[in-house]
Amino acid sequence: MNGLTEVTIAFETSHLVFPSLIAGVLAILGLAILIRERRSIAASGGYWRETFAKMDKLRFLGTLALTVLYFSLMVPVGNVWPNTGLGFLICSIPYVFLSGLIFLHDRGLRAVAPVAITALVAPTLVWWLFTDLFFLTLP
Amino acid sequence: MELLDIISPLFLALIVGGTFVGIVFGAIPGMTATMAVAVCLPITYSLGLENGLALLLGLYVGGISGGMVPAILLGIPGTPSSITTTFDGLPMTKKGEGEKALRIGICSSLVGGLVSLLILWLCAPLLADFAIQFSYVEKFLIILFALTVMAALSNDMLIGIFSGFLGIFIALIGTYDISDGGNGEIRLIPPGLDYWLESGFALLPVLIGLFGLAAILEEAERGVPQSQSAADVKIGSQSTFSFSVFRGQTVNLLRSGGIGTFAGILPGVGGSAASILSYSNAKTFSKHPERYGTGEPEGIIASEAGNNGLTGGALVPLLSLGIPGDSTTALLIGAFTLQGIQVGPLFIGNNPVTWDAMIVAMLIANLAMFTMMYFAIRHIARIVTVPKHILFPIILMMCVIGAYTINYGIMFDVWTLLIFGVFGWLAVKLRLEIAPFIIGFILGPSAEVYFVKSLESFNDLTIFFTKSWIAIVLWVLIIGSVAGSVALSRSRQSTTADA
Repeated sequence: MNGLTEVTIAFETSHLVFPSLIAGVLAILGLAILIRERRSIAASGGYWRETFAKMDKLRFLGTLALTVLYFSLMVPVGNVWPNTGLGFLICSIPYVFLSGLIFLHDRGLRAVAPVAITALVAPTLVWWLFTDLFFLTLP
Repeated sequence: MELLDIISPLFLALIVGGTFVGIVFGAIPGMTATMAVAVCLPITYSLGLENGLALLLGLYVGGISGGMVPAILLGIPGTPSSITTTFDGLPMTKKGEGEKALRIGICSSLVGGLVSLLILWLCAPLLADFAIQFSYVEKFLIILFALTVMAALSNDMLIGIFSGFLGIFIALIGTYDISDGGNGEIRLIPPGLDYWLESGFALLPVLIGLFGLAAILEEAERGVPQSQSAADVKIGSQSTFSFSVFRGQTVNLLRSGGIGTFAGILPGVGGSAASILSYSNAKTFSKHPERYGTGEPEGIIASEAGNNGLTGGALVPLLSLGIPGDSTTALLIGAFTLQGIQVGPLFIGNNPVTWDAMIVAMLIANLAMFTMMYFAIRHIARIVTVPKHILFPIILMMCVIGAYTINYGIMFDVWTLLIFGVFGWLAVKLRLEIAPFIIGFILGPSAEVYFVKSLESFNDLTIFFTKSWIAIVLWVLIIGSVAGSVALSRSRQSTTADA
């Protein structure tokens, strides 16, 4: 009996012991979920079609696209003025404005004006706060 | 440094300011206390531990309390923990008693918060003293127990356990750290990502992604429903509030605060469970349960005392065992990490001043919440009208700062934020449970060290059952939590079948 429960862990492969165990448990649990939910998984095409049909595509996909663009541009822009955090500031102003515009329902001038003001003030204030007051690194 | 040196004007201002911002986050549907803490975490970097915690604890107490405002006035819970407040809050508002309902909720929140604070103050040091004698074996079993409790209280136990183990698995990506006694080898890293994932995914970008970006993506998917206009918010003035409404409610207040605290102590059990348990208990013991759901003050008292009871309770396992009680306290681990301090059984003994400062901060935050909300409730009620198209872009920007500054400026952390933001959105669609995932992610590396070191020391699997009487008690609790969950699930199924 003792032999069955004895375990010797070699130091050089010790980094694989726990991940292998967790992967095994995950595989068993995943299989159990697959068996139990096989009907709903088989019919999941309809669920995803419905999710996509109900989705506000402009706001959801627009937010995602803007965010990817924002993240991608921040460092290259920041590299033009290194160690100033200007990459963050210059990219955040249009990002805050455009995402605010996407979230807005009525895009008349009276509604857009506060979004534009926020887009100018909020990133500038945050940039000043973090670079000048807290001395934190920004892109 | 003495406690009195820490309680500076800045310390007090951070608590009050944090409580106010927390109320704002809580009062706007779609924004939560967790999101408030996630967004404000980077600010704590420059504040020092005690001041940073003062801000975050203010946000936590304010965020949980603020959720009652839209719950009562609009029937929309501002945070998940206010769900049962809507049951009697909205009917009271419809009767023109909105202001009275809010004041009942505010007073109950204060009592619930103070009850939980007292329990935190008494229990956390005792539990920590007890936990100091735990070896790696007991520490591993405590983590296993935390995961099974969370999974057992999930909507679906199987998926809850799967989510917890998935969190552990993702946390293991990277190096088996030499500083933890590992061999310094990397594992589970996809090809080409060795450079970026050598240290694995950083905790805070993961948390900010899951609780900040994912919540905004969900709102964006639903078209960012517009905030209510000022005309829609009717606070009502037909019935004035009097403290006599609490006559005969002492037991309800204390019981609900206690239940909320207990729910907080259980790892991963959120505020919604705290308020639901308190509400259903109050209804069970009430002399007139038929009035619940029709605008009964007792219901609001139970719900609000229960959800604020969560605040102190969730800090008990965090500060005594290093296991967060809910998603917001999981973020507090980030604040400790930022300052290079590890929470666990030794925390209170090694950092007595920080511990005292936290207790004082929680006390002041509860009093500040009460003062602000009670005396300015008509103004606070207007918060529900703050437009989301102004707030959400600012929150997104703050998420980026949080992720970028956490490790002194690593852009991969910002991409991590996006990866886990999208994962958080997808997880909801796939019915994965975020709370067990997070706890698994946070505790995964510790679980590995405790498990592997136990086996390296004893070379026998039976050590997990035979090490001490504590191990046996923990196994009884683990099996009990799983068995209880299975019984609960079967009873739910039979109820559904009968219906």
